[in-house]
Amino acid sequence: MAESCRQHVEFDMLVKNRTQGIIPLAPISKSLWTCSVESSMEYCRIMYDIFPFKKLVNFIVSDSGAHVLNSWTQEDQNLQELMAALAAVGPPNPRADPECCSILHGLVAAVETLCKITEYQHEARTLLMENAERVGNRGRIICITNAKSDSHVRMLEDCVQETIHEHNKLAANSDHLMQIQKCELVLIHTYAVGEDSLVSDRPKKELSPVLTSEVHSVRAGRHLATKLNILVQQHFDLASTTITNIPMKEEQHANTSANYDVELLHHKDAHVDFLKSGDTHIGGSSREGSFKETITLKWCTPRTNNIELHYCTGAYRISPVDVNSRPSSCLTNFLLNGRSVLLEQPRKSGSKVISHMLSSHGGEIFLHVLSSSRSILEDPPSISEGCGGRVTDYRITDFGEFMRENRLTPFLDPRYKIDGSLEIPLERAKDQLEKHTRYWPMIISQTTIFNMQAVVPLASVIVKESLTEEDVLNCQKTIYNLVDMERKNDPLPISTVGTRGKGPKRDEQYRIMWNELETLVRAHINNSEKHQRVLECLMACRSKPPEEEERKKRGRKREDKEDKSEKAVKDYEQEKSWQDSERLKGILERGKEELAEAEIIKDSPDSPEPPNKKPLVDMDETPPVEKSKGPVSLLSLWSNRINTANSRKHQEFAGRLNSVNNRAELYQHLKEENGMETAENGKASRQ
Amino acid sequence: MDDYDKTCLESALVGVCNIVQQEWGGAIPCQVVLVTDGCLGIGRGSLRHSLATHNQRSESNRFPLPFPFPSKLYIMCMANLEELQSTDSLDCLERLIDLNNGEGQIFTIDGPLCLKNVQSMFGKLIDLAYTPFHAILKCGHLTADVQVFPRPEPFVVDEEIDPIPKVINTDLEIVGFIDIADISSPPVLSRHLVLPIALNKEGDEVGTGITDDNEDENSANQIAGKIPNFCVLLHGSLKVEGMVAIVQLGPEWHGMLYSQADSKKKSNLMMSLFEPGPEPLPWLGKMAQLGPISDAKENPYGEDDNKSPFPLQPKNKRSYAQNVTVWIKPSGLQTDVQKILRNARKLPEKTQTFYKELNRLRKAALAFGFLDLLKGVADMLERECTLLPDTAHPDAAFQLTHAAQQLKLASTGTSEYAGYEHNITPLHTDFSGSSAERM
Repeated sequence: MAESCRQHVEFDMLVKNRTQGIIPLAPISKSLWTCSVESSMEYCRIMYDIFPFKKLVNFIVSDSGAHVLNSWTQEDQNLQELMAALAAVGPPNPRADPECCSILHGLVAAVETLCKITEYQHEARTLLMENAERVGNRGRIICITNAKSDSHVRMLEDCVQETIHEHNKLAANSDHLMQIQKCELVLIHTYAVGEDSLVSDRPKKELSPVLTSEVHSVRAGRHLATKLNILVQQHFDLASTTITNIPMKEEQHANTSANYDVELLHHKDAHVDFLKSGDTHIGGSSREGSFKETITLKWCTPRTNNIELHYCTGAYRISPVDVNSRPSSCLTNFLLNGRSVLLEQPRKSGSKVISHMLSSHGGEIFLHVLSSSRSILEDPPSISEGCGGRVTDYRITDFGEFMRENRLTPFLDPRYKIDGSLEIPLERAKDQLEKHTRYWPMIISQTTIFNMQAVVPLASVIVKESLTEEDVLNCQKTIYNLVDMERKNDPLPISTVGTRGKGPKRDEQYRIMWNELETLVRAHINNSEKHQRVLECLMACRSKPPEEEERKKRGRKREDKEDKSEKAVKDYEQEKSWQDSERLKGILERGKEELAEAEIIKDSPDSPEPPNKKPLVDMDETPPVEKSKGPVSLLSLWSNRINTANSRKHQEFAGRLNSVNNRAELYQHLKEENGMETAENGKASRQ
Repeated sequence: MDDYDKTCLESALVGVCNIVQQEWGGAIPCQVVLVTDGCLGIGRGSLRHSLATHNQRSESNRFPLPFPFPSKLYIMCMANLEELQSTDSLDCLERLIDLNNGEGQIFTIDGPLCLKNVQSMFGKLIDLAYTPFHAILKCGHLTADVQVFPRPEPFVVDEEIDPIPKVINTDLEIVGFIDIADISSPPVLSRHLVLPIALNKEGDEVGTGITDDNEDENSANQIAGKIPNFCVLLHGSLKVEGMVAIVQLGPEWHGMLYSQADSKKKSNLMMSLFEPGPEPLPWLGKMAQLGPISDAKENPYGEDDNKSPFPLQPKNKRSYAQNVTVWIKPSGLQTDVQKILRNARKLPEKTQTFYKELNRLRKAALAFGFLDLLKGVADMLERECTLLPDTAHPDAAFQLTHAAQQLKLASTGTSEYAGYEHNITPLHTDFSGSSAERM
């Protein structure tokens, strides 16, 4: 935590410096005070732009006493607060007795302030508890003053050293204060242009283990501003980038455009690639005539507005050096309006490399470092070549909808659970994903209900944590609607992939649909009593012969005891995809037996019914036509006829012809080849 | 790299250093494998000489270690430990690892020098440095076994207190989704391919029976290709929707999954790691504070999906977004004064802008203690008043005189008139209501 503390003194007035030329009026000049305030505000502006948090400034003005203009709290850390406080203090009174004014008051106040604990330090100390002493307290005092001589400067240094010594003693016995571990004193002596400096420069020197000091002697006006600009870069590890070739419309001639340059400051890590590779392209010294270096990057006019993800290795806040100049504000406004600009790095070899990007996020502009070196992930295999890559009927659109429903949004105000504990929004998000995926078939051919528009009103609300009365009503309506569809014998979008012929019969289709719907609803019955009601409605409405219905119910209840619903659904998911693939490939090996075992307890629409439910097994194995109870409907008569007609048009599959009890043995040759026992595949033979 | 006829490890390392940087830049982790017989060379250029002169280097002939990129230096010695220990070779090689900030390891031969033992030594290196990273990608109950490539490196959090390397979880849990436009090219530590894999674990029969049956690998792959995999579904939807999935990698550590197109035909599921911490991206806010949209009172994305809760706006605007006043360069001051003058000449149409600019200048001048400027601008406005053409609206003169008077009062610095929050308001005249009548 590098806090910095700055301090100001008024002394001289009326220095001829920059002049404001309005022809008939006498030029006016800035006072030393104005120059100092301007320059230090510029220091703060750059610092706040690049480090809006965690870098704090405390502003102190000293005359016959110290005026502390702000505190370490985050609310006080912005330009507006400082400007208002400075206006309240006002410029020094030229008639005041210079003898009562001293910078010493300010320096003492600065040391005191450095001992005060900041919010960040408090937070860190609270977090570490018994290790609280490991939280550091380092700071910097920047003192802008007009000193009388070198010995005056030494007197100021001694004063700071002594004060630190005293206050550290005080702080050692206090919970509210912290000892200063390191303090850097930067004394800036400023004097009127044209006068001789009475103070000489001195590089950084260690005065004590706690205190280092350096002295800068600078002429007022823009020299002081330039000095502070260099210091802010040194103090906060900043670097400079100049964007060149920015096309801008001329103010006077709107249809011509000229190219401009804009210099930006940012953390020097944004140049890390240049520093390491040594392939730097350092532009000439900046226009200010100072010795600092800037890296030149070329503007690339964005062609499209399409959004893509760039491989970005770092993003750093920027601050324009000359914030109000026309080129700067043109650039920043362009970015603040949501456009991004790619920046090209001129290389010695002349090749073009895009190395950076400027982009704004929420009103803050960042310099993004883009990776410009070779990728280690060249020519990777496509996802379509890997696991699951050959499957073509993923529910891509449905999952897209699922993703949109599971988008995140910030919850800035804390929320509390019923038990009073803090609720973490991200945990809520995970919880929702868990609920939404309890039953979620991945491919179209694995599901019936999610291919039916009619099911949507139920499927979209049943996953919710709690249902309203209206939701329940909608679910019930959905179920009634399905009953209606069944009565009318409407077709269902049952997938015929992996099944032979025309797929299951209509009433079998409905049985599959109802089973699947039940699985979905059952996965959520523990959410609330209202979910339970939806299930009750569903069970009551399922169109099944009464005795079968009863049997099913009893069977299911037993199953529910055997495995808890959530776990079951999950297992079921895996099992289902497993068995689907089985069906697709018709693999027949010893695993089949284990599978059959696993399936016994599962409620799967198209898995064989458990053997312990004898009557059902029988039913499954009998041809569907005979299965239908009651008088034969007109539809089934007609479809039988069509089936027979159709079957004449094609050669019957060998498997069906050779089937025993409507079951065909697949891969019989395997048995011969490797002598393995081939198990029967129930599904492959089912109609 | 030139060939040399004598052992000179330093130039080899320099060569490696240059090649890696030219090819891969300074950010990609590299494993440098140095195979040596354990001899260090003789005289100038020998490792002993290099190390002895290590402290006398200038910037131009810097010792190549530590490598200027994240690295591990593995030294494979074609000699056994006893041989190396008999001289100071091992110490010198260990110094190399130390110089590389301790990143790396020395391997030696167990037993006599023979093909089998060398193979076993390299086997150890492979186990250490090249084992694939297997993980389970989860989205609620939807899961997939995946390999993450390259292996995610442990990240050392650069804190003042106890730097502990963080390692990512083997359960990669998706916590939610965000539009690409909202996440907008975030800075990442590294990026990795996420490849779905078919595991031959206990109880999972996929593939096992096939290898027994001497089926070739190709058909095993084909079978795996036909089993629906969550990665493929996720990838497809992320691509179509232009979204990323936010994935939790560990406590206070997140990343994102997205579709990355290599070419028109090829694309892949990729994962990028954010920097660990509670708030890796300022424009998303704290990760823990991100919750499901269903918890919000109204959908923050709008009914027609036409808005977004992102990016978060910081409390304070940055200087370039708030029209700050900077007069360090004379041009800055001149522009501001000219703006006032321009508007003064278009009074009374520009009354509002005129006073807005005037107040901005007033505030800045007060804060900077630049009271002379207020006087100067007041004089200028009075002069402007005398220069008004006959055709000017009578209101213009009134407003200019009023403004000049107010500035003069402010320039006295007395608290009554020089309050920072005080604003000069337009003078209410009989003309103000009907100012647009005359040109």
